[in-house]
Amino acid sequence: MISTLQLSNLVLNALETSDESEQGALTQLTSGRRVNADSDDPAAAAQEVNISSQMNDCDQYLRSITSLTSELQTADSSLNSVVTALQQAISLGTEGANGTLSEPDRTSIAQQIKGISQEVFSVANLSYNGTYVFGGTETTQPPYVLDNSAAGGVSYKGNDDVNSVEVAQGESVAVNQPGSQLFSAPDANVFVALDDLTTALESNGTTDDIGDAVTQLRSAYDQLTSARTFYGSTVDQIVGTQVFLDSESVQLAQQQNGTVGIDMDVAVTDLTNAEESRAATVQAASSLQGMTLMDYLANMAR
Amino acid sequence: MSSLNGSMWIALNALQAQQVGMETSANNVANLNTPGYSRQVPVLEEAPAYVEGNVVVGGGVEVEGIQSLRDNLLDLQISEETQQQGNSQAYVSAMDQVQTLFPDDTMGIGQQISAFFQSVNSLSTDPSDTTLRQGVLTAAQNMASSFNNTATQLTDIRQQLDSQVQQQAQQVNQITQQIATINANLSNAGANTQEYGAFIDQRSELIQQLSGLIDVSQLNNGASLTLTTKQGTALVVGGQSYALSTSLGSDGVQHIFSTQGEDITGEISGGQLGGTLEARDQTVPSLQTQLDSLAGGMVTALNDAQSKGTDMYGNSGTSLSNLFEPITGAGAAADMAVAISDPNLIAASSDGSQGSNGNLANFSAVANTDVSNGMTPSGGYGNLVFQVGTAVNNQTSELDASNAMLQQLTQQQSSISGVSLDQEASNLLLYQHAYQAAAQVITTIDQMFETVLNMGAGA
Repeated sequence: MISTLQLSNLVLNALETSDESEQGALTQLTSGRRVNADSDDPAAAAQEVNISSQMNDCDQYLRSITSLTSELQTADSSLNSVVTALQQAISLGTEGANGTLSEPDRTSIAQQIKGISQEVFSVANLSYNGTYVFGGTETTQPPYVLDNSAAGGVSYKGNDDVNSVEVAQGESVAVNQPGSQLFSAPDANVFVALDDLTTALESNGTTDDIGDAVTQLRSAYDQLTSARTFYGSTVDQIVGTQVFLDSESVQLAQQQNGTVGIDMDVAVTDLTNAEESRAATVQAASSLQGMTLMDYLANMAR
Repeated sequence: MSSLNGSMWIALNALQAQQVGMETSANNVANLNTPGYSRQVPVLEEAPAYVEGNVVVGGGVEVEGIQSLRDNLLDLQISEETQQQGNSQAYVSAMDQVQTLFPDDTMGIGQQISAFFQSVNSLSTDPSDTTLRQGVLTAAQNMASSFNNTATQLTDIRQQLDSQVQQQAQQVNQITQQIATINANLSNAGANTQEYGAFIDQRSELIQQLSGLIDVSQLNNGASLTLTTKQGTALVVGGQSYALSTSLGSDGVQHIFSTQGEDITGEISGGQLGGTLEARDQTVPSLQTQLDSLAGGMVTALNDAQSKGTDMYGNSGTSLSNLFEPITGAGAAADMAVAISDPNLIAASSDGSQGSNGNLANFSAVANTDVSNGMTPSGGYGNLVFQVGTAVNNQTSELDASNAMLQQLTQQQSSISGVSLDQEASNLLLYQHAYQAAAQVITTIDQMFETVLNMGAGA
């Protein structure tokens, strides 16, 4: 015999079950997540810790790349102006080595070379966001100072060190070229070469002296142009990394969605099913009302 | 020859018997919604026959008593399942709070660990920049406070569970006392009485309540019922109940003692008390230990990284400040704190110059280093998320299974002990008709008496 209480319990239990699944489906739909608590899917939740940390890392790498790119490009374009200036100095020097030139002409060329030297000096002390770019890792003070006791009248206060920055998981790039590689390499010092050229011109030296000085300047120029390629190739490298990181971000977002996100079709179907089952239960419950023999007898007595 | 008196007697007994039947049905209908009530039926018996001359005449009907319909085996199964359900329920509700402390994405320790390493990467692009240095310090402070908060809240939850243990032990005592009182009453009430059935119903209901609180074993089912824990600690023996007591142990939580003074904290395995104790004494402490290990491991690894560099003032080696207060072991997560407030004290440089970022690689490397039980910082946190999630998930499945099982058992019990209005209505009709018939018999006999009496008067 099915007891009366049993029937109402059945209805209650069925309602509770469909309420629970309806609530579950609603939570998923409103949050857009299948995993709303660790216990919904512990393995997916643990994986999500990893994925969201990787996504944040990606964002950080991209921010670092953006700030590095602009610093590297600034350095590169400044060095470009040095290259142009040195080319000019070399052609001036070649002109000065011409034996037909008068002394005042040479003096005037020497003045121009001095101007170029000052221009190079100012680029060598380039600062970006308050830090000096060409001092190795000595970035808080100007790397080049005027110093009459030094060869070429300029001494280098920076060091030979290079900073590296991680721009992707496991990928670090060097981000600076010390001035000692660019302007003041041991046998290819730009300032010394320019100073020697100026001296040779001013002292009205022999064409050989001036020619030697130009040769010296050429090798300093070669050193600078070859060391300078670092900036261009580094920018190329990190722009490549940036493209990789952008696609990595998209991939991680997809992975995240697959791990903890909802399948919209499934969630909507779940919700519909729960709603339908609830409606059916209510319908069944209402038809149960007033159906006992007791009620029938009571109606008869009336 | 049979006598009219004898017939009258049989009819009267029949009236009484049907009346008892009506009463029982009325009582059943009245208790339709009473929790724990089992349907009662009158036990009717043929009265002994008697011999009149050479004829054996039936003696009519007798009411033997009133019986409550219940299945004791089913009661036992329900009790077992209720213990399991109480256990899972208490555990899940405790751990539901815990798992909000270990979110898998935003907020929480995982996010802060990741943010710290990002701030280090940011600083590496411009190591002498004060704003970026301050960013690292702020991220370190945020990370420390996320450890602090989680640890504090774990301690709070453990304290809440501790006071729940006390309350639940008191509830156990109240119920065992009530059961003992009923046992005493039962030994005075005769079997197959309505009173007896009512006591048994009440006691069964109390045993189910008790099963929701603690693991229970039952012996016998009459007045001499004995209830013990699964490990044999007496709770009720007949009319005597044995109260559990609680007192603060050396480990800072309440321990449960039997009346004999034995510490039975570790033995309780079922009911809400079992689930609460499992969360309080096993799961939460294990999480605390792992969190401390993770915090301590990170503090040590990051301080080690710091010690290898040079700060903005040129300090290196022993003259460097620690980045974090050097804390390891128990309480490391709660006490994790950044040791410096001057961002220039971060040792980013590897060559002594202010613009060097070489030592930051050592900081970054910590993200991929084993800091706690063979796991990286983020991996260690992910493992905690997995553990908490799995604990809740497993017990939720068990809870669902228990609920389903209990529903089924209760339905079964209900089909035996529950009251059906249909059945009671038809019973009422039967009793009513039988009563009317018996009354008719009495009327007939009465008329016969009159006939007999008039026989004398007429002569």
